[in-house]
Amino acid sequence: MSGIEIKSEKQVDDFILEVLRQHPEGCSQEQFERDLGSIPLQSRADALNRLLSKSRIQLFNRDGNLLYKEVSAEDAVKFRGLTNEELMLYQIIKQSGNTGLWTKDMKIKTNLAQPNIQKILKTLETRKLVKSVKNINNPSRKVFMLFDLEPSREVTGGAWYTENQFDAEYIEVLREACFQYIQRQGDTTLKHIAMFVRSRGFSKVELREEDILSIVNTLLYDGRVDQVDGEGAEDLDDHFRPAVHSIPATTAFTSIPCGTCPVLSECKEGGLISPQTCVYFDKFLEF
Amino acid sequence: MKYLDLAPISRINTFLENVDVGDYIVHGDLEAYSCKLAGLDKKLSKSLDAEVQTGSSPLQLSKSPVGPLVESSSRKTLIYLILTLNHIYPDYDFSLLRAHHFCKEDGVSRAEETVDSHLLEVSKVWAKTPGLGESPFLECLWSSIDEAVVLRECDVYSYRSNMENDPFGETACVWSFNYFFYNKKLKRILYLSCRAKSRASAEEEESETVSKQYYTDDSDAENEKYGMANEMEV
Repeated sequence: MSGIEIKSEKQVDDFILEVLRQHPEGCSQEQFERDLGSIPLQSRADALNRLLSKSRIQLFNRDGNLLYKEVSAEDAVKFRGLTNEELMLYQIIKQSGNTGLWTKDMKIKTNLAQPNIQKILKTLETRKLVKSVKNINNPSRKVFMLFDLEPSREVTGGAWYTENQFDAEYIEVLREACFQYIQRQGDTTLKHIAMFVRSRGFSKVELREEDILSIVNTLLYDGRVDQVDGEGAEDLDDHFRPAVHSIPATTAFTSIPCGTCPVLSECKEGGLISPQTCVYFDKFLEF
Repeated sequence: MKYLDLAPISRINTFLENVDVGDYIVHGDLEAYSCKLAGLDKKLSKSLDAEVQTGSSPLQLSKSPVGPLVESSSRKTLIYLILTLNHIYPDYDFSLLRAHHFCKEDGVSRAEETVDSHLLEVSKVWAKTPGLGESPFLECLWSSIDEAVVLRECDVYSYRSNMENDPFGETACVWSFNYFFYNKKLKRILYLSCRAKSRASAEEEESETVSKQYYTDDSDAENEKYGMANEMEV
């Protein structure tokens, strides 16, 4: 008999692992057929089952294809003894990355029943493989992600949310600090403001330049600082300086009824709404 | 909260899961629980109790839909309502809710009126269903509820949905109602709720595989909430 060697179970196992190492992204059924054709189907199937139950290899689904992959030694410990369903749910949660996955979507994706999913999640949580997170946009949904991942900014609300609460005090502190700095400097750029804020250690979380920009913008919109172009052709940054003109509390136009009139656009002499018949002016002139 | 498996209740609950009345499809829940706290429920109830005590305003402490929150029995009521919702809708976590998210009904009769008027069409389907239709639906419903929690001894509460982050705000929900019948003496809560989904959207949902991360109500043309029939006071 040529071509067919009787291999021991261990040899078959090792051979399969060797093949999988050559396809670190995952090995499909067809790939297996090609590389392991010399091994009889039954031995192959037995070996795969052995390796799966020892968590030496894992099975996962990508775009409807079933793929096999070797499990690293440290992962093997984490996954030892997990059932296929538990592994499948773990994979699906893994795919959701740092956005996390809602339990309702887990049901849809895995077709597992509710009590089953609850049990599996409990197991995975105890093993510190997954954790529950709150999404700021939908705080009442039960969402889970991998234990080691940091939830994305969209989920946590970013720098402005502490423990899922909007941290208004913190923002106020930052605003004042930025304003004082701009006042002291007279003229500065976003980069310098950012360096200042970071050097003072106001923040436990890392503040990106865009976060600091949104703080400075609130000062801009409040009329406390002005934004001006940089000097010269080289300087492409925006500069900030304390406001030269503050936004007045009232102006001549807002002091008279016309400034705040809801039907100003329809007002004309001789019309239904006109200055002569204006009820707001009547009230205004009662003094 | 321990789920009570009562045959007449389960029968109706199964029927209400999916009732096609023609223009829309009704999804209902009828479940009874005993107010026994164990395991996770117990832990949650302890933390909620503390949070409600410290987090409530002086006004709420003296008066709220579930009673003065300074009293432990009122806080217990709130906790039972929250835990019941958690059990009925396991994909959601209602532990952020507080007393002002609920309202107390003035007695059973208002709830009865609402339920009876909304479930007229459902009764007709029941009557035509073989094996079920021997006695009128509403009769069966109320007698089974009475058997479980003795209606005249109950306080009736309702959850005021914000229509955004919970099962009542799902797209194309034409009307919905929910009631908790709480019998303090018997330590039992019965939950009755129905949502009507427009037919067209139900068919659309079948082709969708995963729900969107964030709801955008504008995208769904079927999302009409009829003002009158909408019992959820926001």
